[in-house]
Amino acid sequence: MDYDLLVRRGRVVDGSGLPSFIADVGVKDGKVAEVGKLKGTAARTIDADGLAVAPGFIDHHTHLDAQMLWDPYGTCEPQHGITTVVMGNCGLTLAPVKNGDEDALVKSFVRVEAIPRFALEQGVKWGWHSYGEYLDNLEGKVGINVGGLVGHIAVRHNAMGEEAVERKATGKEVQQMRGLVLEAMEGGALGISTNRNERHMREDGKPVASRLADDEELFALCDVLAERNGGTIETILGRNKIEHFEFYRELAQRTQRPILWQSLQHRWAEPNLWREQLAAVEPIFRDGYQAYGLSHTVPLVRHFELKNCQVFDEFPTWKNLMFLPLEVRKQAFADPETRQKLRADLADPRPTNFHRRWDIVRVEKVVKPENQKYAGKTIAELGAMRNQDPLDAFLDLSLEEDLGTVFWNANNGGDSDAMGEILRSPYVLVGTSDAGAHVQFGADFGYGTILLGLWVRERQVMTLEQAIHKLTFHVASIFGLQDRGLLRPGYAADLAIFNPNTVNSHEPEWANDYPAGSKRLIQRSEGMHYTIVNGTVIHEDGRMSGELPGQVLRGPLYREQKAAA
Amino acid sequence: MAVTYIPVARVGELAAGAMKEVDLGGRQVLLAFVEGKYFAFSRQCPHEEADLKTGTLEGGKVRCTNHNYCFDLRTGECVLPQGGPPLTVLPAEERGAEVCIRLEW
Repeated sequence: MDYDLLVRRGRVVDGSGLPSFIADVGVKDGKVAEVGKLKGTAARTIDADGLAVAPGFIDHHTHLDAQMLWDPYGTCEPQHGITTVVMGNCGLTLAPVKNGDEDALVKSFVRVEAIPRFALEQGVKWGWHSYGEYLDNLEGKVGINVGGLVGHIAVRHNAMGEEAVERKATGKEVQQMRGLVLEAMEGGALGISTNRNERHMREDGKPVASRLADDEELFALCDVLAERNGGTIETILGRNKIEHFEFYRELAQRTQRPILWQSLQHRWAEPNLWREQLAAVEPIFRDGYQAYGLSHTVPLVRHFELKNCQVFDEFPTWKNLMFLPLEVRKQAFADPETRQKLRADLADPRPTNFHRRWDIVRVEKVVKPENQKYAGKTIAELGAMRNQDPLDAFLDLSLEEDLGTVFWNANNGGDSDAMGEILRSPYVLVGTSDAGAHVQFGADFGYGTILLGLWVRERQVMTLEQAIHKLTFHVASIFGLQDRGLLRPGYAADLAIFNPNTVNSHEPEWANDYPAGSKRLIQRSEGMHYTIVNGTVIHEDGRMSGELPGQVLRGPLYREQKAAA
Repeated sequence: MAVTYIPVARVGELAAGAMKEVDLGGRQVLLAFVEGKYFAFSRQCPHEEADLKTGTLEGGKVRCTNHNYCFDLRTGECVLPQGGPPLTVLPAEERGAEVCIRLEW
């Protein structure tokens, strides 16, 4: 056989951002062997006519450090075309760790990332000490590729014990931490992550350890990466402030390593902040330093009925009506005098989270067949169709349907123009899935399929080629992932094969697949037909193959050591 | 203007520092008795929708156990982190032998 796998006549979107083209992709020994018009024989052929063939997506912002120990696929990552994940973000990792200190790390994961304690207690079989040993533990046991940043929280605990959450480090302790960071990097870490978020505390209410670190300590740890010329630095400082950009500049300039900061999003409550953030970061790049902002593709969506709705709680009359018995509420909604008050509430110019724009709120689902024509329309459009003021149309439709009409609203990420500028910016790293975290509060495994379905196909804010570049080579370059992120001969055969006309993400749903059958939210996809890791199909139309072709992707210092050896 | 008082508990029913779950028009609300006063607020944390029934009362504040977000029960203001999303609060008062929520529109 010439190839182990041959993908026929797909539209190759190669991750570079260059125009896509029709070609066959031949895979041999886990690598892309050839791309073009191929004639050879293959053990398996996939007909990709009408489908896009792209490098597998790289989810760089996960907290799968624990989940990968019991779930080799990091479910639902492959269902969305993700073939590689980066763990260890926001200062949180399960290594390095000393015997007896394990629970100190669990305390931070439980609170900051909202991972149920019993899942961690049952699912994590400790036994490693260094970061390299933690990665060793995943070798041969993963279905997707994994890499990770070493977390400042674990490093600090290792050097200082419980005093890590109580005080500043001594010079000696900082030196010890530098040694731990170097050991982690040489063991395969892709970089370091830290956490200064003022609301990130442990389960016992104490601040996470990295919050006690001053600039001197943090810079000393990041200097390890600078001195050895490798690795990425990921940060979370808390509430977004323009003053933070001086810190990002200093860190980026001092280390000359890529810095990641959180986060940049369009929010109706602060509609210009994203623009100010982009303006603040541009001079850092112009001067030759890298400080990428993380952004998200998933609008913060609320589906609501006027039977049970929190969207309007910021407005006093609206709020009070929402707590009234249903019959009284319906009478109030129908009353012209009350409508005037509701209108006046929305006209109050004080800043609110709800944007008060009827061109954003949509009719999602109607109750009566005769109202089907309104499904999918914005409230502004509904008003025009019914020849009514939008507020009256909104309330009247709901009243006609006994308050059962389902509406859709997005407070964040709903402005297409803003989202287009953010997602297209070369200074923005797309994706904050937080996979493996907040498992009972949300599931954003589909940030990539939403980028392709919502922002590329539906809203057309960027091309398919630009989007695939953002999901693949852009990430691989920033994290120094060798031979990943491009669909080119010699690169790893990590592939996502999908239908650009249907690809999208489903709404999150409950599953009982966490340790001890505990529940969490998962997210399925649409139109993602094959996910291939190192040449092996692991996901095909929603079914997992059970094979474990994933690799542990280790960072530059590990590779340097190995080459020297 | 219309006003209604919805009884949600009997005076003396709640011990100091206790919380009671109440359904108001299909919305889940908590009634707390703190420092001799009643406070009513949405059961759902406005940050990530965690259940505030498992939260802790600290004087006139409630702290969510999920991410430690802390809210002033008088105003709903998010005091930690400052500027966070506000908690929905409702006026609760004693009317004779009953504790009532006052709703006006």
